[in-house]
Amino acid sequence: MPLLQITGFHKRYRRQVAVERVDLSVGRGEIFGLIGPDGAGKSSLMKAAAGVLSYEGGLIEAFGVPLDSETNAERVKDRIGFMPQGLGLNLYPDLSVEENIDFLARLREVAPADLARRKRRLLAMTRLERFRGRAMKHLSGGMKQKLGLVCTLIHQPELVILDEPTTGVDPLSRRDFWAILTDLLRDRGITALVSTAYLDEASRFHRLALLHQGQVLDQGTPEEIVSRVPGRLLSFRTSQPGEALRRLQGRYRQLDYDGHRIRVFVTATGEAAALDELRRHLGDLPVRQLEAGEPGLEDVFVALLRGRGDADREGVPRLPVNGRSHRGGEDEVLIEASGLCRDFGDFRAVDRVGFRVRRGEIFGLLGANGAGKTTVIKMLTGILRPTAGSGRVAGADMRRAAGAIRQRIGYMSQSFSLYRDLTALENIRLYGGIYGLGPGLLQERIDWVLEMAGIRGHESDRTAALPMGLRQRLALGCALVHRPQVLFLDEPTSGVDPLGRRRFWSILTHLAREQGVAILITTHYMSEAEHCDHLALMHAGRLVADKTPDALRRELQQEVGELLELQLDHPLEALERLEGQFKGVTLHGNRIHLFAPSLSAAEPVIRRLLADTGVELRSLRTRVPGMEDVFVYRMGLLEREAA
Amino acid sequence: MRLWWLRMRVMTAKELLQLSRDPVLLIILAWFFTADIYIAGSGISMDLRHASLAVLDRDRSEASRELIQRFRPPYFEYQGELSSGRQGIRRLDRGTSMLVLEIPPHFERDLEAGRSTAVQLQVDTTNTVLGTLATGYAARIVARYGEDRVLDRLGVTDQQLAAMPRIEARQRVWYNPNQVDPWFMSISELMTVITMLSLMLPAAAAVREKERGTIEQLAVSPLTPFQILFPKVIAMTLAILAGTAVALFLILFPVFHVPLKGSLSLFFAVTALYVLAVSGLGLFIASISRNLGQVSMLVIVVLMPMLLLSGAWTPPEAMPALLRHLMVISPLYWFIELGYGILLKGAGLAVLWDSVIGLSLLGAAIFGFGVMRFRRQFG
Repeated sequence: MPLLQITGFHKRYRRQVAVERVDLSVGRGEIFGLIGPDGAGKSSLMKAAAGVLSYEGGLIEAFGVPLDSETNAERVKDRIGFMPQGLGLNLYPDLSVEENIDFLARLREVAPADLARRKRRLLAMTRLERFRGRAMKHLSGGMKQKLGLVCTLIHQPELVILDEPTTGVDPLSRRDFWAILTDLLRDRGITALVSTAYLDEASRFHRLALLHQGQVLDQGTPEEIVSRVPGRLLSFRTSQPGEALRRLQGRYRQLDYDGHRIRVFVTATGEAAALDELRRHLGDLPVRQLEAGEPGLEDVFVALLRGRGDADREGVPRLPVNGRSHRGGEDEVLIEASGLCRDFGDFRAVDRVGFRVRRGEIFGLLGANGAGKTTVIKMLTGILRPTAGSGRVAGADMRRAAGAIRQRIGYMSQSFSLYRDLTALENIRLYGGIYGLGPGLLQERIDWVLEMAGIRGHESDRTAALPMGLRQRLALGCALVHRPQVLFLDEPTSGVDPLGRRRFWSILTHLAREQGVAILITTHYMSEAEHCDHLALMHAGRLVADKTPDALRRELQQEVGELLELQLDHPLEALERLEGQFKGVTLHGNRIHLFAPSLSAAEPVIRRLLADTGVELRSLRTRVPGMEDVFVYRMGLLEREAA
Repeated sequence: MRLWWLRMRVMTAKELLQLSRDPVLLIILAWFFTADIYIAGSGISMDLRHASLAVLDRDRSEASRELIQRFRPPYFEYQGELSSGRQGIRRLDRGTSMLVLEIPPHFERDLEAGRSTAVQLQVDTTNTVLGTLATGYAARIVARYGEDRVLDRLGVTDQQLAAMPRIEARQRVWYNPNQVDPWFMSISELMTVITMLSLMLPAAAAVREKERGTIEQLAVSPLTPFQILFPKVIAMTLAILAGTAVALFLILFPVFHVPLKGSLSLFFAVTALYVLAVSGLGLFIASISRNLGQVSMLVIVVLMPMLLLSGAWTPPEAMPALLRHLMVISPLYWFIELGYGILLKGAGLAVLWDSVIGLSLLGAAIFGFGVMRFRRQFG
């Protein structure tokens, strides 16, 4: 008997269908993931499962009790912990950490002795002990989320339902979060239903369901899902990328070019077959560094979406080319910050930040909510006056020539800054007018934006009615209507599905490579960081590392070694032993990741450690570390320095 | 310069477009400029109408009945007789009667005998205006009755009466000769509505940009804060002027027959000036609010003293000295001076120039302050 059984679930908001015919079951001791973009129906499903949302069709049973009425829902609420979406929404901002916990514990009628014991343990696990007396509103995003988790767990629920607990949280806090869940799983056999918009977190789950527009695309273990879309992810460099793309475009629907490498998903069984096929299609083109890799869940998601016919016809949108040649040299610096500081009262939001972005470069600024990314952008765009430091944008001094800067830059924020009650065309016209385009030029630019964003056919639709991905590209178009040399993008991809994100990135790459636009982008998605030419992490107002993704990865490998992935039948039992011997041991569903100097040196050690536990090592292989691994390591170093 | 106009034009067009796409706002505008003013003009009256009267007649004579009969509709409504004094008090307490008239025993006999007598009138003056009116009317009725009895007893004929030296107070009522309340009330309500909407609409438009995050997008564009804010004010001013025209031509002139003595264009010009001034206050409210809810509450906070200090409810002369001086900073005070002056008195600029200057100065100060406050939010 599964702990949570959902059959034929159906939820509508007025006429809008949120979730349609969803069936899934979560077994005891399982971490089950719901993965999908904003508006996929994750929250509706989770609220209904927590017994706080009524639904129109189907049945949800928790602990064998059907959640079909208020009364029945009340019967199981004691055994369920629910954390709604949004940073600290279940908490009271003006109460301290301890007061928040005490209040929620009393609400749940936890006995004082139990409360004291659990509070001590949970605060230690979340490393929040030092902040007991701090008001919740003064905590960082990651700390808020951890406190939220503590409050959700204080009555020791058997089932926890966590709605996007890691959105907007820095990578290190995200790791903490998963570590706490792992501990709870190990010690108390807790069951969890967790949603996320990050596909790279998928490996954390035992099983998962991919949600898209209220429907389940697929569900199963991560391996099962990946194996259902057979194929290999191939990547290579070439001196003639345009020609290569042209030859591949009609044949493969998943095709990306980031300005350095072309990535293509080839549906073929086996690596050799895939490589052969690709070489055949490329013909005589010179190809360097051809590599084959396992597709990630994101590739599978995209493939599934494309299979449903939702996707756009072309993998890479054909962009109309701007007839403008670049002025200035290739390595002209278009964004320069040095020693930027910004104080809000006593609080230093940005601390001595400096970097350079050249023409045609994409610079990624990564970090959690509240790390200071947005403040940096606001200072460079002239909205906010810096406390100290200087900067130059598009050849103008940030402090003295804010007006000139504004005419030369484009800006897009995560709220997509469009007027929702205006149509797509009216929005473009408005921004065209604001930037002073004359009638002839305006028409030309409108055509360009419509083409670039793929909005033809939707020109007269109200912006509010456009799907997320279209709205995002429209916002980008509005920011580009005056052909700026510099583009600032503040979390432009949050909430957009992977397909939309890929298309968005291919536009950015095109802008940078073909038109020489300097782009500064902030993002939460570590997988997007790979597309950047160089990137930096912001943490507590400071900039950490500013290098290319490859250099960062190499550095990590030099310092801590290779990233190994172990597949085990009972990973929980092996976890503790491995932790004693290796660095960076983390649980990912039934796999364990760890760092070791090399595979050959580590293998005998691992086999010896596991020998007398009875745990079977099913496979052992090296993995290419992701940007998340890089930043978790870097931030860990920083935190140790600070302590 | 061309660029400046282009920007102002596209921004104003945007605001008007957004307004036209907001059904809730349109309904609110339509309601306030028609139904609300109609209700205020026809419903609220300073007249005494149907004041309920209960009588405790302890005499039950011809004289007492005649006195009671003189309390006539439409001013008074006779509710019948009471059986005891306690019942009268109870009726007053419950609010079922407004006046209780008590006529003592031997009322007629005393009058016949030439002795003075007294009647008692108890009045519920919870509503002071109506209470005062009722007391006054009742006192006049009783006095008149007494006078008639006296003349009757003296046997004075009408001719003799005409020959007597009597002073007659002849009133000549200017500007509203029939003292029609709807004139005053509907104009006053129109001005209140204009005030409220000029506070509310630009503030709502500005704070909506904050809520949706579009203000950041505008802030990084080459627009100056003035170019962002002023188009909102222009658009809302146009909307309010259109509403005012609707109110004048659909309600005030045809329904209440309010006369138009002065120049209509002068009235609209003054209204535009006034809306601009007040919307500056609205922008200030928007600059310190984070969302529409806060805007609404702050509008009430600002609106109430403006109304109280405007002279719409109490003439300035009746205010305590301190408040009377404060009235100068309520733009509504100037507007009421101007509005009544133009509509009812037919005054032109020659008479009203000082109020126009007063309103302009105040308006410029408020608007400048509002824009400055908003500008400071972007560092």
